[in-house]
Amino acid sequence: MTPYLFLAPGLLLFAAFRLYPLLEGLRLSLTNARLGRASYQYVGLANYARLADDTRFHVSLGNTAFYTVASTLPVLAVPLLLALALNRGRLRNVLRSLFFFPFTLSVVTVGLAWLWLLDPVVGPFNYYLRTLGVPARSWLADPQTAMWAIIATTVWWVTGYYLVVYLAGLQDIPRDLYEAAALDGAGGWRSFWTITVPLLRPVLLFVVVTHVIGSFQLFGQVFVLTGGGPGDATRTVVQHLYETAFQNFFQFGAASAMAWVLFAIVLVFSVLQFRLLRGHTEF
Amino acid sequence: MATGPRRRRDAEGLALTLALLALAVLWLLPIVWVVVTSLKPTENIVRLPPEWIPWPATTEHYREVLFSSSRTARIGRAFLNSLVIALGTVALVVLTAAMAAYPLARMRFRGRHLVFAVLVGSLMIPNAVVLVPLYVLIQRLGWLSTYQGLIVPEAATTFAFGVFLLRQFFLTMPGELEDAARIDGANAWQVFTRIVLPLSQPVLAALAIFAFRSAWNDFLWPLIAVNRPEMFPLPVALALLRGAYAAESYGPIMAGAALSAVPLLVVFVVANRRIVEGVRLSGLKG
Amino acid sequence: MTRAHSAVSRRRFLGGVTATAAAAAWPRGAVAQPKTTLTYWNGLTGADGKVMDELIDRFTRDTGIQIEQQRIPWAELYAKLQVAVPAGEGPDLALIHTVEVPHFASDGVLEAIDDATLAGKGFRGDDYLPATWQGGVFQGKRYSLPLDVPQHILYLNVKVMKEAALAGPDGKPRVPGSRDELVTMAKKMARGDTFGFAIGTSNPGRYTWGFHNLLWQNGANIYAADLKHAALAEPAAVEVAEFWGGLGNALKIAPPANANCRDAFIAGKLGMWIAGSWNFTGLREAKVDFSVAPLPRLFKQPVVWAMPHQYSFPKPKTADRTRREAAWTHVRWMTDHVAEWTLKAGQVSASRKAHGDPRVTGDPVLKTLLAQGANWQVGQPTPKWVAAENLTRPVIESVYTGQKPAKAAMEDLARQINALPE
Repeated sequence: MTPYLFLAPGLLLFAAFRLYPLLEGLRLSLTNARLGRASYQYVGLANYARLADDTRFHVSLGNTAFYTVASTLPVLAVPLLLALALNRGRLRNVLRSLFFFPFTLSVVTVGLAWLWLLDPVVGPFNYYLRTLGVPARSWLADPQTAMWAIIATTVWWVTGYYLVVYLAGLQDIPRDLYEAAALDGAGGWRSFWTITVPLLRPVLLFVVVTHVIGSFQLFGQVFVLTGGGPGDATRTVVQHLYETAFQNFFQFGAASAMAWVLFAIVLVFSVLQFRLLRGHTEF
Repeated sequence: MATGPRRRRDAEGLALTLALLALAVLWLLPIVWVVVTSLKPTENIVRLPPEWIPWPATTEHYREVLFSSSRTARIGRAFLNSLVIALGTVALVVLTAAMAAYPLARMRFRGRHLVFAVLVGSLMIPNAVVLVPLYVLIQRLGWLSTYQGLIVPEAATTFAFGVFLLRQFFLTMPGELEDAARIDGANAWQVFTRIVLPLSQPVLAALAIFAFRSAWNDFLWPLIAVNRPEMFPLPVALALLRGAYAAESYGPIMAGAALSAVPLLVVFVVANRRIVEGVRLSGLKG
Repeated sequence: MTRAHSAVSRRRFLGGVTATAAAAAWPRGAVAQPKTTLTYWNGLTGADGKVMDELIDRFTRDTGIQIEQQRIPWAELYAKLQVAVPAGEGPDLALIHTVEVPHFASDGVLEAIDDATLAGKGFRGDDYLPATWQGGVFQGKRYSLPLDVPQHILYLNVKVMKEAALAGPDGKPRVPGSRDELVTMAKKMARGDTFGFAIGTSNPGRYTWGFHNLLWQNGANIYAADLKHAALAEPAAVEVAEFWGGLGNALKIAPPANANCRDAFIAGKLGMWIAGSWNFTGLREAKVDFSVAPLPRLFKQPVVWAMPHQYSFPKPKTADRTRREAAWTHVRWMTDHVAEWTLKAGQVSASRKAHGDPRVTGDPVLKTLLAQGANWQVGQPTPKWVAAENLTRPVIESVYTGQKPAKAAMEDLARQINALPE
């Protein structure tokens, strides 16, 4: 009896506010429910069928996928390079703290700061570019650069977190491995690929998994920095879902269908990555 | 013989450190810019070339966002809301997760593998997926625009991670003390509160910080679950300072942004090691 | 007064800090409040908001009725109102735009106002400009009372125009008389990081109010006369979209789609600016050297976009007579003091009373705004107006940035609007 009593409060919380909504969402996605309407009907898969024709949903999916793919490498590499450098130099803990600091900010604070920095007319970033002779751009309003600006902002935001993760991982690699490699005449570059990368693989995979799952939910940066613009160039799935459910006619049924499409995608990715993770850690 | 290369390596290390320090300063410039802007009088904010020394300095924007009774989004009130929500979430998560993780790590009972698997699996559920049904649920409970309407779902989101983190820690704890207490006649609850919890302070602190951060910074859920503006937490109040048809000056916005960073900065300075430990624990075993 | 007030709220704030644990019960009663406290939502996020604050302070001193104002940007305000009112969390009073009245009324968000109440409170249609008075009515029932008429006006930056030799010998900037002239003048000013012309405050690319204004000038509109089908694929609308798309691209006179035009104007980086009347008091405060002119005729008619603010009473969960009476008291008080509002917030009043006030007629900007009255036009009275506007924003932005050609974009937008659910 005892273990169940210990588990009860947490599981109740979890079941009521996490599991139940998940399943309830599936049910809602089969209805034409709308906020403020007392009654609704089951419409089968009509919401899903409509999604097949919703070009803005397709654009959002494409943007989300683009963001996920394009941001993974910088999110993986920038903190790793920093971690390798920090691991060699001095003042490691001080530097680690400095780089970590942006991660303590909320996405809104990050967005507002960068919005002001990147202001196309009166922002400092463009000003310094112009003084360097580089033509100024409206980074966030240019369809060519808007998503990249969001990626850069995100990299700035999360680098500190992954830096700490990497540093911890690097410290777990025994020093004598490198020394032995050096005795065998391996240079820094070779020991990076033959020692660091393989031993860091679980950490690298953790970073990728965490980042990819987070990427599918991109919303805050877009809400503050571009509002999904210019046009629909940075509109994401979650933003489309949010607006469908809470701004335009409060179409709960349609939004729930979007949520489940998103969930299905994340599920497939998670399973794939989990396979990958398991396959490689058992060496 | 050996001093030559070592000296060279020292010099290299020093150069690397200096370069990294310079990079760190550059890295933090956006934050400096926020603070600098927040200290300038309104008429000095929009200036080209950009001015990095806020002189003459003023605290008018801070006073305005914190104390002005009739102002736009009442950052002062939002600050309090965020504090209540974050502390409430921390309390709820730490309590429920510790209670749930303990039997999962230290007791044998039917279904424990299933429970743990479901919890770990749920870490993959994007929050956005449950947004709409959660809204319907909270509305039916009458919890829209209330603290519980923000705290409870927030805690439920972090719960699974908390169990995961704490279970890992409990698994590594030596069992002797618990056994000794049990021999002295302590029941399971007493063992848990008097032995296990005190021994777990570092990991509990790590979880508390994690939960605080995610509750303090959450944006999407409060954006929809709060209809009464006086109940907005900080991120929502800040985001809505910026209207589409009338441009608010950057001064108050940046003051609000700077203020919103303070609590976590304090936590961060005080508990730096705990945070690193927490990230380590959560990250490496993921 | 401002100072005394902030002291009160500081005490409230500190009281709150010490009582964080118990903050669920926010100390509403920290200050003795013998009288009613009203909740009042509005989206006056510009300089006009500060003026509203001052007037409400005076109102409280006059009547003892406290007002808890909540101010969030209009788009969010409307989304929240829609959700909050059915949940019983709506305010006692809300300031909304005329185009919102139809959908809020048809969704049952607003309480209808009967003629007897209206007459009893001394509100008479004859005192108001007809278009503003009529804007409060939907399907024969009244849901709101007009306060003022926010509208567009042309701002001219004296410094920028002088530098481009676009000022007369008296130092007064030249006023463009036609679209061609406006474009020629703007081109003379646009170089480097300085822009000649813009419509809109922040994010000009998706400034629907400006786009509507141009549509109306060209005799076009969002919906056809039947208010059922989108009319945006018509040649007149496409012509406007083409001009819109040319502003930053082909003509190279306007700032980027996400520029903060107000800041650019203040910083002396923008010459001619079509923007809301609510900006001008803020420009004066920032000590910008500017003048104003009536909105130029850029297409067929010199139509001026106008959007009266309306006082409305969201439906409460349970009727509370005292609060409703207090809300009426406030509406009455503001209507009686509307000259002050006009002078400080730069919003011409909907009621005619203040129009003859010498302080109003003596102000060059207000005089210009009043003189535009004959050219005012408002949005179409359909419950779908706002939803259509939400769809319009990204589409006109993609035209502005050159992502989509004007004609295809307008056809796409018309399709989207026609597909809106009933």
